[in-house]
Amino acid sequence: MDATALLLSLKLAALTVAILVPAGVLVARVLATHEFAAKPFVEALFALPLVLPPTVLGYYLLVAMGGHSPVGRWYEALTGHPLVFTFDGLVLASVIFNLPFAIQPLQRAFEAIPDDLRHAAACCGLTGWQSLWRIELPLAWTGLLSAVVLTFAHTLGEFGVVLMVGGSIPGETKTVAIAIYDRVQGFDMTGAGLMSAVLLLLSVAAIALTYWTSSRHRRQHDHAG
Amino acid sequence: MIRHRRTWLHACLAALSTAAFGPVAAADAPLIAAASDLRFALDDIAARFARDSGGSVRIVYGSSGNFRRQIAEGAPFELFLSADEGYVLALAREGRTVDGGVLYATGRLALVVPEGSALRLDPRLADLAAALADGRVRKFAIANPEHAPYGRAAQEALTAAGVWDAIGPRLVLGENVAQAVQFALSAAAQGGIVALSLALAPEALGSARYVAIAETMHRPLNQRMVLTQRAQSTARAFYAYLQQPAARAVLRRHGFALPGE
Amino acid sequence: MTTPVEGLHVAVRQERPIPLAATLACAAGETLALVGPSGSGKSTILRAIAGIYTPHSGRIDAGGETWLDTGAGVRRPARQRSVGFVFQNYALFPHLNALDNVIQAMGHVPPAERRERALRLLERTNLGGLEDRRPARLSGGQQQRVAVARALARDPKVLLLDEPFSAVDQVTREKLYEELATLRRDLRIPIILVTHALDEASMLADRMCILHRGSTLQADTPFGVMARPASPLVARLVGVKNIFAASVAGHDEERRLTHIRWFGTTLEAGHAPQFAVGARVAWSIPASHIVLHRRDRPSRGERENPVFGQIVRCVPMGEMTAVALRVVAGERTDIFFSVPTHVARRNGLAPGETARVSLLADGIHLMPAPPPPPALPRQP
Repeated sequence: MDATALLLSLKLAALTVAILVPAGVLVARVLATHEFAAKPFVEALFALPLVLPPTVLGYYLLVAMGGHSPVGRWYEALTGHPLVFTFDGLVLASVIFNLPFAIQPLQRAFEAIPDDLRHAAACCGLTGWQSLWRIELPLAWTGLLSAVVLTFAHTLGEFGVVLMVGGSIPGETKTVAIAIYDRVQGFDMTGAGLMSAVLLLLSVAAIALTYWTSSRHRRQHDHAG
Repeated sequence: MIRHRRTWLHACLAALSTAAFGPVAAADAPLIAAASDLRFALDDIAARFARDSGGSVRIVYGSSGNFRRQIAEGAPFELFLSADEGYVLALAREGRTVDGGVLYATGRLALVVPEGSALRLDPRLADLAAALADGRVRKFAIANPEHAPYGRAAQEALTAAGVWDAIGPRLVLGENVAQAVQFALSAAAQGGIVALSLALAPEALGSARYVAIAETMHRPLNQRMVLTQRAQSTARAFYAYLQQPAARAVLRRHGFALPGE
Repeated sequence: MTTPVEGLHVAVRQERPIPLAATLACAAGETLALVGPSGSGKSTILRAIAGIYTPHSGRIDAGGETWLDTGAGVRRPARQRSVGFVFQNYALFPHLNALDNVIQAMGHVPPAERRERALRLLERTNLGGLEDRRPARLSGGQQQRVAVARALARDPKVLLLDEPFSAVDQVTREKLYEELATLRRDLRIPIILVTHALDEASMLADRMCILHRGSTLQADTPFGVMARPASPLVARLVGVKNIFAASVAGHDEERRLTHIRWFGTTLEAGHAPQFAVGARVAWSIPASHIVLHRRDRPSRGERENPVFGQIVRCVPMGEMTAVALRVVAGERTDIFFSVPTHVARRNGLAPGETARVSLLADGIHLMPAPPPPPALPRQP
């Protein structure tokens, strides 16, 4: 059991959630409440990581973040080491490949809020932030929970992009998914099996939590309607 | 609703605060990139190094070709043990290394045959042509010749045995030679050509059988290692340790031929 | 019609997506009903006043402030307009109880006073004791009252109600009418009520504004609109069934009458000198100004416009019977009125029977004739 790798994965997942979900809330709210000509393209862009093979995503991330890219060079000038093969690079990659997992549940949840509620909030004199915090977020909380849980679980399991962008550097970019792969190659089936079981349990718990809360929410709304 | 929001806020703050203190492991143990055929041998040597000098290293095993690319892109390895000297020399030309490195071992190939397979062991792969023809061998595993030196050597051996074209459609390619062992010993394949050092490890072999392949069937697997420009004192010490008799003995035990012998 | 500066003045205009060409005004303390069929733009105009919809061009002034002036680039967002809005489905915040719903509108009140003032507002709207309940546990009528309380909590300069009674049953509705009628006596602000129900408008509003396809056609007291519609279109929109075409025969200045010629009959109407002699006009008469002659006793009197015809429809509907009397066979001259069912029976009203009615002259209202579509009856 590679505790370092597991801890690294948990940190990566937590940090991704902490960065992506608040940003996702703002993006999702704009998408849910505005219509504009480029909207289908913007939505498609955010949904890309869902359909792109991880290696394609990894390739483009390498190109965009690697030692020869402007971003990579800027980072290297700032810190002395490249963006790829570092935890920071992984966080950036993780935020990108989790975009749809955060934005889509949030957008659905915001769309489910009747427009008139926002109008009523405005007529009550609430500012946009007050309306978001007091009225919309409490009503969208299942979407928020889904976004947090799905992003967390998906980050724990991500392999292809992490391997391409991070390498397999112990303590830095060797997440538990990579560690499992490495254990198998090192013929340590017990270690691999143990870590796989932990990941499996975490993923099942995450999905079950999401489904349970959304069905409870649905039932509450049916009673209220 | 307020409860949910507060716990979420707390979780965010906790995550951010732990992140602020950087990644988890200590960053002073140097990173070593090592070809995957060295797995058991190098783990052994690293343990002795730690006992003898107190220094610890972090080893990452993988395919030499991948490491060559990663180091060229600035991956933070301080020492590179390649299974192919060409990669080391290329990095030296690109200025990524302190010098041209040194030969530390010569690798050997092994034919491995899992339990239940009817392929006969032979150092010159004599039975392989027949086994392909009569269907005893339907899938055969080697490392990817594109970037794994043991894959390239396997291709040379198969060519020398005259079966490269026939076996082409039956090949299963491992991303590195360790993965090739996985495939070779799985129930889906009837054999494979892998690193002798891995075939010798009891954890790897299990109930499979092996034979070393004649060295004349392929170009020598000159395994070269080199310190990168990032190398600090512990990496340099390990580099030196690898050339000492104790380390060489371990390598010999794991099936490597040594330079100067 | 001038209104004091503190009132509400609205002028909006746009072509798309919903055509609007509306002008209206409402004084402080006055209730104006916006009436029209669905799709006539009433809700859109209300939302424009509230600031949750921005028309293409227009100007809205309320309580001495300019809320919208597209010409000058002034466009105050809804939250900066002091407006109370009651939505058709109330738009209560479902996760907050009644008290918290009301408190949301009290950002302008010092925090220490909010709870107390909200409780008092809920008392005033007959919701005492229900402040802890969430909307899901309130009846339709109670939800509506919370919506009204929340709108009033804003201390608004204008109160806007968008078909606030359409979602409740008849009994509750009548209770709510009474409550609103009581409330508005104490409110010295313009109140705009959107509805498609004319009886509601008559009951609750001081003035009524008729909307059709985004255009304001007429604004007057409810009775004024129904008795003196500005055009046959307005007459139809307010449910006047008796609309006919005629031509002006002459004016009688002395007796304050105008004679019109209608299918061989000369009728006396209220004096309308604006129409030239010989001009084509449309005329209407509300059902309230049609009097049935009793079979046994033909009536006397000057301004009676007696009219004789054949009953083509006679449908008892509970206590009243709806009757259609055709004056000229083969022409569209059906006069609609209703009489108590017992009267209908006593007078032997039935399809095919003849009857005589009086059209009271002061109910006959003359309007400019619309341009003739092919289906209009021949001019007499």
